Amino acid sequence: MKRTQIGELEELVLLTVGSIYEQAYAVMILEVIKEHTGRNLDVTAIHSVLRRLESKGFLTSSMGGATQERGGRRKKFFVLSQAGRQAIDEVMAVRSVLYNKMPKLTFAQVYL
Amino acid sequence: MNRQPPKWADRFLEWYCNPDLLEDLQGDLHEMYYDKVESGRVKSASFYFIWCVIRSFRPSVINQNSKLKNSTLMMTKNNFKIAFRVLWRDKFNTILNLTGLAIGITCFFLMGFYVKQELSYDQFHSKKDKIYRVWLKEVYAEDQIFFNSSTPIIFETVLEENFGEIETVVQFNKRSYLVGEGEERFNENVGIMSPEFFSVFDFKLVSGNITSPLQARTDIVLSESYARKYFGDKEPLGQSITIQIGENARQFNVSAIFADIQKESSIQVDMAISNENNTDVYGERALTAWFNVSPETYVLIKDKTDIKTIESGIPSMVKSYLKERVEEGVYNIGFQPLTDIHLNPAIPVGIEAIGNPRYVSILAIISILVLVTAGVNYATLSIGQSLKRSKEVGVRKVLGALRGSLIKQYLSESVIIAFFAVIIGIILTHVALPVFNELTGAQVNISFELWHLLLYTGLIFIIGIASGIYPALALSSLRVISILKGNSQSTGRHNIRKAMVVFQFIITVFLISSTLIMRKQLNYIQTKDIGVNYDATVSVPLYQDASANSLSTAISTAMEKGSILKVKLTQYGDISDVSMGTHVFGTEGWANMAYTDDKEIFRRFKLLAVDPNYLNTFGIKVIEGRAFDPESELDKRQSIIINQAAVDYFGIEDPIGKRLPGNDFGEHVIIGVTNNFNYSSLHSEIEPLIITQNITPIFQGVSDQGFGDSPIPKLVFRYSGSQLTKVKDILESEWGNIFPSEELHFSFVEENMKFQYESENRMNKLVTVSTILSIIIASLGLLGLTVLVINSKMKEIAIRKVVGASEFGIFKLLAGSFSVQLLLGIALSIPITYWLMNNWLNDFAYRINISVDMFVLGGLISVIVALLAISFHTIKAALINPVDSIKTE
Repeated sequence: MKRTQIGELEELVLLTVGSIYEQAYAVMILEVIKEHTGRNLDVTAIHSVLRRLESKGFLTSSMGGATQERGGRRKKFFVLSQAGRQAIDEVMAVRSVLYNKMPKLTFAQVYL
Repeated sequence: MNRQPPKWADRFLEWYCNPDLLEDLQGDLHEMYYDKVESGRVKSASFYFIWCVIRSFRPSVINQNSKLKNSTLMMTKNNFKIAFRVLWRDKFNTILNLTGLAIGITCFFLMGFYVKQELSYDQFHSKKDKIYRVWLKEVYAEDQIFFNSSTPIIFETVLEENFGEIETVVQFNKRSYLVGEGEERFNENVGIMSPEFFSVFDFKLVSGNITSPLQARTDIVLSESYARKYFGDKEPLGQSITIQIGENARQFNVSAIFADIQKESSIQVDMAISNENNTDVYGERALTAWFNVSPETYVLIKDKTDIKTIESGIPSMVKSYLKERVEEGVYNIGFQPLTDIHLNPAIPVGIEAIGNPRYVSILAIISILVLVTAGVNYATLSIGQSLKRSKEVGVRKVLGALRGSLIKQYLSESVIIAFFAVIIGIILTHVALPVFNELTGAQVNISFELWHLLLYTGLIFIIGIASGIYPALALSSLRVISILKGNSQSTGRHNIRKAMVVFQFIITVFLISSTLIMRKQLNYIQTKDIGVNYDATVSVPLYQDASANSLSTAISTAMEKGSILKVKLTQYGDISDVSMGTHVFGTEGWANMAYTDDKEIFRRFKLLAVDPNYLNTFGIKVIEGRAFDPESELDKRQSIIINQAAVDYFGIEDPIGKRLPGNDFGEHVIIGVTNNFNYSSLHSEIEPLIITQNITPIFQGVSDQGFGDSPIPKLVFRYSGSQLTKVKDILESEWGNIFPSEELHFSFVEENMKFQYESENRMNKLVTVSTILSIIIASLGLLGLTVLVINSKMKEIAIRKVVGASEFGIFKLLAGSFSVQLLLGIALSIPITYWLMNNWLNDFAYRINISVDMFVLGGLISVIVALLAISFHTIKAALINPVDSIKTE
């Protein structure tokens, strides 16, 4: 079975969407990422990643209610889909397997 | 919250954005905008908003359904895709087409840049439209006209004072002086210019006193390369340079450095001093003289003034100064636009040589012709290919393709071809440029300018559409029924294709025969027996004594020094026939004399002062009377020899023992008559010539003198040794003793003779290059056509062979189809060639006649080339086993 590859930014966005849960829309994702990683991304970059992830089936979206703050335009909220959750699990699993394989004392080798 | 994101950006977003995405995206952008505005960063908020709108303009966001996703755009994309596939599938033809077009484009670029260079002379001056060069035309009688681009020195002040419309008048001249000190003295052309020179022209001052470079009389300005030549890496500013002007060695201080002057300038100078030095340069009297021309005068007129108002004021100004000295209409002053100088042969040449506008236009025509040949070639080949494509057209039409979309489809192909051809052409041009310059002696350099991009894009579409439109129309007009039935050929289309092949032949044969004619003419003038034996003769310019203050003493002192050198040189075994003369063959502009004779007729002749051996050295034949006797003192003083042309011109019967018709000449007698030998280039007829050992009696009788070539004598000798470098050694060993402070130059007369025809030679080489290229293009075209014709006739050939046709018969059949077109092309090219070449030949006083053999040869070459191009595939087709081609299908 061939897994859909996801990129680094995609993974980050996917994780962020998952962590925010139900309140995730582009500007907020942008802010969360900035807060956690210090990376200053363009909102357009977030938009295109979101679209890509949605078309891959990792995210689902729904329009929110009308708001005051943005000229009455509705927000588009994203949530993880089943496949998205699975993808993120797989990525994390691979990472943790590899991480655990690292000898605990690697850093100590330096002193020998 | 009264601030709004930039309206236009918002609207643009709304225009292109996919409506499904719009609300969310726009909302997010607005939200971020207001966040930023609230935190007080209004500018950065707007900037960020615009930035995001522009960044979002990408395929995934753009509304795919309406505005941009229309059929034109989609079909164009599809057309290009199909075109690429078709071109890729038929690699052989694609390569032929590409090569042909690319060669044509290369040729067009190379010639075009050369032509452009010729046309761009003096265009870089920002005030070019307001700068005029002054000319002076003195008309005394019908054939007594003195027309000069150099002017009296007084013009500078006179013009400035009398015409309010003139902003500045500057003068410029170049004189040869010894520059430097001691051992390191060079003969340099030193510019003498008005201090305001640099404010009129856009020559760039790079360092030093940029605002007023020639402020002081002792200032000198140098070009960057001359600063390097004289001072190397040292700081040149403030250094001093010695120039020997007349008897004085004068010191000049380097006050400014200017950038080297580009080739495309009618003013060329590397070092210049102020014209405050005019008294030293020309002498006191010349400064106020009205009939002594020396520097070029340039006027800069004020804004919104017309040169015509100045022109109309000239006659009254002349009258107010010259009063009764000249009659009305004798003394004419005129103005020539600066940008007109380089290519207008109607105005006399000034200080720098000018170009020949006829050559420029001939080259421009040829470069376009070659490009057209390449385009036609492509069109012919594509029509040929329509045989293969007709089924495709049929199917497309059945499926509902409109004619317009089919045309677009085929045009895409030709535009793609043109695109790659132009790219290859640009690369080839840059690669071939050094070779081209080397070969032709042109000095073209291409530096990229923005308008080139426009030119390239323009060319791609012009070539692509012009060469593709006919095949596109022809293909798209096919009727579905006839295509699908199988008889796809209509005779009309064949005729046009044939006509195009004929057209190509016309141009090719025209170029071939023109090259041949030019070659023959150049060969003729360079090998024509001019009545002079200049084989292996060397010419060495002598120098006058520094104290010489008149032309005759300058000539005589140089001759005296020359005779010492002459004695020394005769000791060497390899050197013979040493002699001296004021002019030597291979230079134009021998001393021109004019006077009014005893019958009040204005006469002109050329004057040559020699030592008694001169006629011998060059093997000039005396047909009547005798040559100079080296022993005779009388000959030295008063004998003159004239040429046959002079005898006819002056109308002297039995000239021996007679005088020239004129009252003021000193004591002289004609002792001999030479045959008419050519002493200037064969562009001009032989003019009357007077040869003398003593110029004084002649000078006494003439009223006007003009010197195109310096009349300071040259030493000539014949060198019979085999090592050319030895000439230099011999000369150097003897030179220093006699001319301690002058530089030694020498040249072979034969080389100088060739140099007289330099521009013709270059022209011929340029045409030869185009000819070769067009032959290549034509043969590529033929090659492609042959393949196509053969492919369509495979079965016919096979059946003919089965029923007994010989291989040669088949070859004849195939070759025959081209020969009619070829012959027609040859025939039609004859009148064009004849007319254009006759035109060119009229430039020469001595010319060949265009004869049949050149057309025969030109035709023959094209027939051979054509046969070579078609024979390979034709023979292959003729030899093929009929079974192979019949069994398919």
